[in-house]
Amino acid sequence: MSDGNYAHGDYTGHGKALFWLALCTGLLTLLTLGIYRFWAKTRIRRYIWSSARLDGSRFEYTGTGLEKFLGFLLAVVFLAVYLGLIQIVLFYFGLRIFAAPQTPEQALAQTAGFSVSALALMPFIFFAIYRARRYKLARSRWRGIRFGMDKAAWGYAFRALGYWLLTLISLGLLTPLMTFRLEKYMTDRSWFGDAQFEQQGRWTALYAKMKHIFIGLVLMALGGTAAAFIEEPASLLTMLAVLAIPTGLVWFVIGVISYRVQCFAYLTRHKMLMGKIAFHAQPRTAKVIGTYIVGSLILSLLLSVAVAVFGGIAALMLSGLDLTAPDSTFEPGMIPPIVISVAGYLLTLIAAQAGALALITQPILRHYVQSLTVINIEALAEIHQRLADPGADAEGFADALDIGGAI
Amino acid sequence: MKGNAHLYDGQSAARHAVQVDLSEDRNALVITGDSLAAPVVWPLPDLRALGDHADPSQIVLTRHLDTPDESPRDPARLVVEDPEMVAWLHRTRPRLHRKDLRDGTGRRIALRLGGALAAVAAMIFVILPALANTLAGLLPLDKEIAFGQGVKAQMERFLGASELGALDCDAPAGRAALDRMVARLTGGQDLGYPLSVSVIDHKMMNAFAAPGGQIVVLRGLLDKAQSPDVVAAVLAHEIGHVVHRDPTRHALRTAGSVGLLGLVFGDFTGGTVMVLLAERLINASYSQDAEAKADQYAYDMLIAAGLPPSALAEMFETFRKEFGDVEGPMAHFASHPRLATRIDAANAASPQETPHRPALGTADWQALRTICKDRG
Repeated sequence: MSDGNYAHGDYTGHGKALFWLALCTGLLTLLTLGIYRFWAKTRIRRYIWSSARLDGSRFEYTGTGLEKFLGFLLAVVFLAVYLGLIQIVLFYFGLRIFAAPQTPEQALAQTAGFSVSALALMPFIFFAIYRARRYKLARSRWRGIRFGMDKAAWGYAFRALGYWLLTLISLGLLTPLMTFRLEKYMTDRSWFGDAQFEQQGRWTALYAKMKHIFIGLVLMALGGTAAAFIEEPASLLTMLAVLAIPTGLVWFVIGVISYRVQCFAYLTRHKMLMGKIAFHAQPRTAKVIGTYIVGSLILSLLLSVAVAVFGGIAALMLSGLDLTAPDSTFEPGMIPPIVISVAGYLLTLIAAQAGALALITQPILRHYVQSLTVINIEALAEIHQRLADPGADAEGFADALDIGGAI
Repeated sequence: MKGNAHLYDGQSAARHAVQVDLSEDRNALVITGDSLAAPVVWPLPDLRALGDHADPSQIVLTRHLDTPDESPRDPARLVVEDPEMVAWLHRTRPRLHRKDLRDGTGRRIALRLGGALAAVAAMIFVILPALANTLAGLLPLDKEIAFGQGVKAQMERFLGASELGALDCDAPAGRAALDRMVARLTGGQDLGYPLSVSVIDHKMMNAFAAPGGQIVVLRGLLDKAQSPDVVAAVLAHEIGHVVHRDPTRHALRTAGSVGLLGLVFGDFTGGTVMVLLAERLINASYSQDAEAKADQYAYDMLIAAGLPPSALAEMFETFRKEFGDVEGPMAHFASHPRLATRIDAANAASPQETPHRPALGTADWQALRTICKDRG
């Protein structure tokens, strides 16, 4: 849709089509022991990208399953060596330093020691996050023109580590600085054809988006203070504590979601392409949370029906067997129900993932796309093609490290 | 076949309104438009459609062309929405959804796959075990003992102990008999570890060694053993594990390989099952070797103590009667070698004529068997 010099985003994907696509590709992934997952991801992205439309033109995802598979194999060579060594050495030092936990405190310290291995992966994780975004952009096209991103993953990884450290030291007070600077680093290196994106705006503006997080924290603090002063059980203070702490907790969770949604909106509104084309985004936090809740409710309802059916069949088949008999050995009669249970369990998981994609992820995405407007769309016609990006690892690192989210 | 469509030329972000027609020889699409400098000609056999497209009423065409792109495709796109033309394309162009792979794709896959498998195999079968051996040797004894106590505590909880030591059996007479048996086996030689043998009240017929010289015998084993020699043989086997530092090496190696396998199988549904299976398979190949070595150690120790190694064979015979042997492909997943093989080996290791004095006297043997009787 275009009205004058504005173009509104539009999303035409159907839940049913996406569900079946995700279900079939999920089954193929299971049958191929996980190898098909690269093709599954590719096909789902192709569907989602082509569902998004701007000014009458659909987006296109050109990534291939094969290049993801090859990229993954490449990443495995690096990470196998690195991860294997890091884990065994850390485990050894964990034993040497902490030995067997005698008290809960020691057990905690030991767990902390072991999770250092996760820390050793942090630079790789940030590296992979940047590379994954670069790959996704390099494989996205609109009107036949490639998006793209500069090669700067290590620069991102070091900055991200620094900002994380700052955020940690400041007890989260510098979160907006991290959010803004990291997004700016990526946006300023992003391209559409030969046109460069630029992130404008100020990081301090993001504090306003943290409003609900602060309200949640204040409520919890109030409740905690009230609880500390309780003298008689049926007093006003007790009521305050009982109400304020859970309310604060829920408010805090909503605040975190709100922060993410509204940061996205602010950062999108302050992006510029080629210094001429601007964007407007107005996603509503309530809509996102509502979609999430409604989607989860429908999904859990459908899943419980499926589980009841599968579980019932397995239970019926098992009911003829006496499993409590002493020295009961393995009986051939147990095989069909066990196979049905395992298959049913895996099928339910795959169906749940496909359902979450169709009932939660896609509707939220639809909302984001539909609340997006591009201003000065006519200037796009001046943009020309950019060179193809070979994209060496094609998200291989992100896949190996299990980063990536829903799509 | 003729109609209107939109073309993205692959060079600019302009949207061209175009007319599409068949060429005179009916072998190509001719695309003409006011905004196009010259007509674009796409041979029919090269036409390809984009897959998994969200709008079934339209076809986005491109063509097979050798480009440096991720797939051999022309960057230009022709969006066809005219229903007749869409139907015509589906009807007459069977190759629309063909996947075109570049030459040498098979070789590239084989190369990368080989490289990745070699790296993982080298890590799992060479580097991690070697590192585990070295590190197990470097670990100070007191730390290893402390770690072993943790492992033993975990095992006890797994067997149903509500608190540490709740299942320990230590009737004084039985305890003394057990100590006498261990003393006879070790014969006063220094094993490098302070041995700590305990009995746990559980009906399972088993015994295991934890890191740092801790050996645990389950009551079920005492119940099923026909003679004290059998218990001594099992103890000798577990002492073999202790001396070889098998439990510590195992723990270190597993720490390395589980992280690595998680990486290979990734995050798909059922991935965890795959990691567990693979870990079992890898582990089996090592532990079968470790078991064989512990058996060998046990023969020597038994002979030195004047006991017949064939007692170990008796134990395996009982195991085989209880649980059967592992056969066929499942044998690769088992943590222990096949029982039949172990029985033969143990019998073969027994000298023909041994002046035999049972591991425990009748009274001591009775005391050991009732070590769990007046517990709690």
